[in-house]
Amino acid sequence: MTTPTTPTKPRSLSFRTVAQLVALAIADAAISVWVGRQAYLWMPPQASAEALLVDDLFGFLTTIGSFIFLGVTAALLYSVLFQRADKYDISDGPPVEGNLLVEILWTTIPLGLVIWIATYSYQIYDQMAILGPMEHMNHVPSLSLMPSAEAATLPAVPEQTPIEVHVRQWAWEFHYPDQNIISTELHLPVNERARLKLISEDVLHGFYVPAFRVKQDVIPGSTIDFGFMPIREGRYRLRDSDYSGTYFAANQSTVVVESAEAYQQWLATAAQQPLTEADNRAFREFTKLGDRPISAGWKTVEPAPPPRVNFASSEEDSYE
Amino acid sequence: MSTANLDPTLNTHSAHAAEHEEEDHRMFGFIIFLLSESVIFLSFFVGYTVYKTNLTDWLPAGVEGLEVREPLINTIVLVSSSFVIYFAERFLRKDNLWGFRAFWLLTMAMGSFFLYGQAVEWMGLPFGFTDGVFGGTFYLLTGFHGLHVMTGVLLQGIMLGRSFLPNNYAGGEFGVAATSLFWHFVDVIWIILFILIYVWQ
Amino acid sequence: MSNASLDAIAAKSDQPFPGAPNNWRRFFSFSTDHKVIGIQYMVTAFVFFLIGGLLAMVMRGELITPEADLVDRTVYNALFTMHGTIMLFMWTFPMLNGLSNYLVPLMIGARDMAFPRLNAAAFWLVPVFGTLLMVSFFIPGGPSQSGWWAYPPVSLQNPTGNLINGQVLWLLAVALSGVSSIMGAVNFVTTIFRMRAPGMGWFRMPAFCWTVLSAQMIQLFGLPSLTAGAVMLLLDLTAGTSFFDPAKGGDPVLYQHFFWFYSHPAVYVIILPIFGTFSEVFPVYARKPLFGYRFVVVSSLIITVLSAMVWVHHMFASGTPSWMRMLFMFSTMLISVPTGVKVFAWVATVWGGKLRLDTPMLFALGGLVCFLFAGITGVMLGAVPFDIHVNNTYFVVGHFHYVIYGATVMGIYAAIYHWFPKMTGHMYYEGLGKLHFVLTFIGVNLNFFPMHPLGLMGMPRRVASYDPEFAYWNVIASLGGFLLGVSTLPFILNIVSSWVLGKRAPANPWNAIGLEWLIPSPPPVENFEEIPIVVSGPYGYGSDESLVANNPAGELISEHS
Ligand code: HEM
Ligand SMILES: [Cu+2]
Ligand SMILES: [Cu+2]
Repeated sequence: MTTPTTPTKPRSLSFRTVAQLVALAIADAAISVWVGRQAYLWMPPQASAEALLVDDLFGFLTTIGSFIFLGVTAALLYSVLFQRADKYDISDGPPVEGNLLVEILWTTIPLGLVIWIATYSYQIYDQMAILGPMEHMNHVPSLSLMPSAEAATLPAVPEQTPIEVHVRQWAWEFHYPDQNIISTELHLPVNERARLKLISEDVLHGFYVPAFRVKQDVIPGSTIDFGFMPIREGRYRLRDSDYSGTYFAANQSTVVVESAEAYQQWLATAAQQPLTEADNRAFREFTKLGDRPISAGWKTVEPAPPPRVNFASSEEDSYE
Repeated sequence: MSTANLDPTLNTHSAHAAEHEEEDHRMFGFIIFLLSESVIFLSFFVGYTVYKTNLTDWLPAGVEGLEVREPLINTIVLVSSSFVIYFAERFLRKDNLWGFRAFWLLTMAMGSFFLYGQAVEWMGLPFGFTDGVFGGTFYLLTGFHGLHVMTGVLLQGIMLGRSFLPNNYAGGEFGVAATSLFWHFVDVIWIILFILIYVWQ
Repeated sequence: MSNASLDAIAAKSDQPFPGAPNNWRRFFSFSTDHKVIGIQYMVTAFVFFLIGGLLAMVMRGELITPEADLVDRTVYNALFTMHGTIMLFMWTFPMLNGLSNYLVPLMIGARDMAFPRLNAAAFWLVPVFGTLLMVSFFIPGGPSQSGWWAYPPVSLQNPTGNLINGQVLWLLAVALSGVSSIMGAVNFVTTIFRMRAPGMGWFRMPAFCWTVLSAQMIQLFGLPSLTAGAVMLLLDLTAGTSFFDPAKGGDPVLYQHFFWFYSHPAVYVIILPIFGTFSEVFPVYARKPLFGYRFVVVSSLIITVLSAMVWVHHMFASGTPSWMRMLFMFSTMLISVPTGVKVFAWVATVWGGKLRLDTPMLFALGGLVCFLFAGITGVMLGAVPFDIHVNNTYFVVGHFHYVIYGATVMGIYAAIYHWFPKMTGHMYYEGLGKLHFVLTFIGVNLNFFPMHPLGLMGMPRRVASYDPEFAYWNVIASLGGFLLGVSTLPFILNIVSSWVLGKRAPANPWNAIGLEWLIPSPPPVENFEEIPIVVSGPYGYGSDESLVANNPAGELISEHS
């Protein structure tokens, strides 16, 4: 009825089983470390200092996650393949009801593990120093014991006028108050901490640039200070990340990170341009609706007219 | 019992037994329900507190605050009615039906007085339901509570009516006990509400 | 527990036993029998599962190309709103309520639920609010298009200006669903507390009942918060108040707190009974006791408590202050510990057993693997800096579909197959069952795995159109979606044909331990001839203890099993 050795009883572990288990754990760990390395490849380009930190965290999480996933599924798979009852065997398995030591172990080890994960995430967060709307300092009020020595790796926020980000159904508009520029493309100098003021004129929207790994809901009725650190020149996609109604998916824009000189150059030329009407996908689609022979849609909130700006970009422009 | 299922016509016995069993569980179920119901009030209270502490222009233009005197009288009447209903229940337990009816009716009168007082207060207020978050939360909280008072009075009316059915209340009555518990619940909620809205201005 | 006389039982139950309700019309009546109500719940829920699934197919059709070309954007938005709402409020909750309704009284040795009429009333609300939701497709302006969260201010926008609009109907339906759920919860909690058979102490109660109890307690403390938020939203929408309208001084973020204070715990209302199902199914098909029973059942209660303290992890990007982000990150991580305890316990239950890979076991194993994957991505999402990147992207959609389809729907299938012989008195067809499993398992992974890379690349959720670089994974996901649609066909065929034509099921076809297996299939009205007297724990596999001291089936199965 019962097999003489049951793997769940540590007392009956032979040296050979221990060696096998250790070998398996090492193999699992090796594969997991490899998977954790791959994790960086699944992410968009690392265009901000935050991206470096987030990707390290994701690599770490993927490693630990793979270790657990592979370990548990391997055990299940082994059972499924090799521990099946014979067709006519109607007997029961060993009546093992539990093992206190094992149960305590698999409660405390995961507890330690998640505390480790949370602490590491906390440190990463501290370094990212994300400016929340109600936050007037640039990192978390220290919860005493936590090491926050590394918090200083990012330069402090320089005193400059923040760029205003206005978002509405369904357009993004960027105001440069010092130069008096309005643009539908967000230009930022590389290696300088960007400071933004996020303002929504109607509903909730989300400011999201995947290449920067930053995201912040834009909440009507309050102005949100936001900042991050672009470190790589290029053109990146800005997306609305909080569902904002009919043309939500079309509410995208481009962020251009460029050298300080190119940035100044752009500011200078843009300031010279007269205000013109920008292309706006939501408005374009909405006005074309009338041309359709049959409209299969429902009545929608009307998109705001296209922004009038000094500098316009098109959604069709390339980006990384 | 063992034959109860064999023939549908014999089923009456087990159905009867089930009904008695059901009565025993009712109070337990009702208490659970009240606990859950109290979370709705709790949510409203938390909402009120969050609004009040976070919003800068809390009171609508032209509103100074709330008058406390009449509501306080109202409060005293409602809270005392909790004691009155307690005595009504004691009379019922001692099989004094007329004592029960008298005190029960007094409770109903006090509850109705509360509702009347509330209505008078509402009439005289310089702000309405749609006047900002303050107006909204004020009428929401007092109104939602008022609905409960009204339900309580209605339940009491039904129980009073049932007391005239012969032998109805022999051996204790779940309806009376539950109504009275509900009444205490409504009172406790009001005390918190009164402190939150009127005392904390 | 010997189950020695299976043949005797099989022979007996060939004749319809006395009192056995063989009249299908009772499923269309206001029956107060918990078994009838259970099946009413399940069948109704399944109809809505098909409707919700059809909506999802259309969505996957739209997403197979980057452009918004199949349906209008308003239609797409209505589709995902209704898909989510139907799948949660019309499929998962009623389905699990039906399963619990059918099983809990049988498992604890009761003749019915504590309040049979309340039970029936709670069920009959389901078709009422289901219809209300469906009607919203046919009114001017269409159904709600604000997502299943109904976040204001979008949910307050009402472009038609009509008083009767999709959002109002949606709120009414959700409110009615809440009423129904509270009625159900009061009933379940009372039943489990008060109606256990003699001898069934807390630690002799099957794990499934523990999880139902834990889940229903969540409904009791959580739902009122959603109700409060929904009432305020409805007033804003119809009566002109300004609780959540920032244009008039309201606070839209407060709504999010009300919503998630319920809707996070709600995911545990869903998964807990599935945990219970796993705990019932694994021992039967591995022929071993549930490993660490006490740890497993107590962890359900711990989850109930912790689930009330993690809701802000859905709002990490909502302008939540840092201290809150960190606090809720820690609590979210913490909740994975009792969850992990269960996973390890199931693996240990299976380990070293004598496995029989019947359809219920296959679904349970598949569900467990999916749950493991989802639990790991869940912990990742709990880590604030990473969540900031993937919040509101397809990564989250992938995470919760692994739990809700991978673990929950597969777990539901496991339960249906496992208890189908008990419920109907017929055996299902094993071959069709295995086909159903294979299609489902492949479909789930094909449909939902690609959502993870998409989210990491930055594809937002709830989009009708997307940038071309996302096309590759979306095509695969769409194919998986259509496969999932196909996968329900063998299931429907199996259930319908075997219910009508299937081989008669004996009282205990799986040789399982449990009070429900001691009485005929299907059980008679009022279940037990004699209330069972329980004398041992629920998972005595491999030992010879008897579960009960009497024969609860009375003369219906005279052989003492
Ligand atoms: C180890 C356990 C789990 C953890 C740590 C966890 C964590 C999370 C987190 C942090 C989010 C928010 C992500 C975001 O929106 O940015 C989330 C979303 C979600 N989770 Fe889980 N989760 C776990 C298990 C579950 C279970 C068991 C279910 C369901 C039965 C579930 C269903 C969901 C759903 C439906 C959402 C998305 C809701 C929405 O945005 O519409 N999760 N989870
Ligand atoms: Cu879905
Ligand atoms: Cu959650």
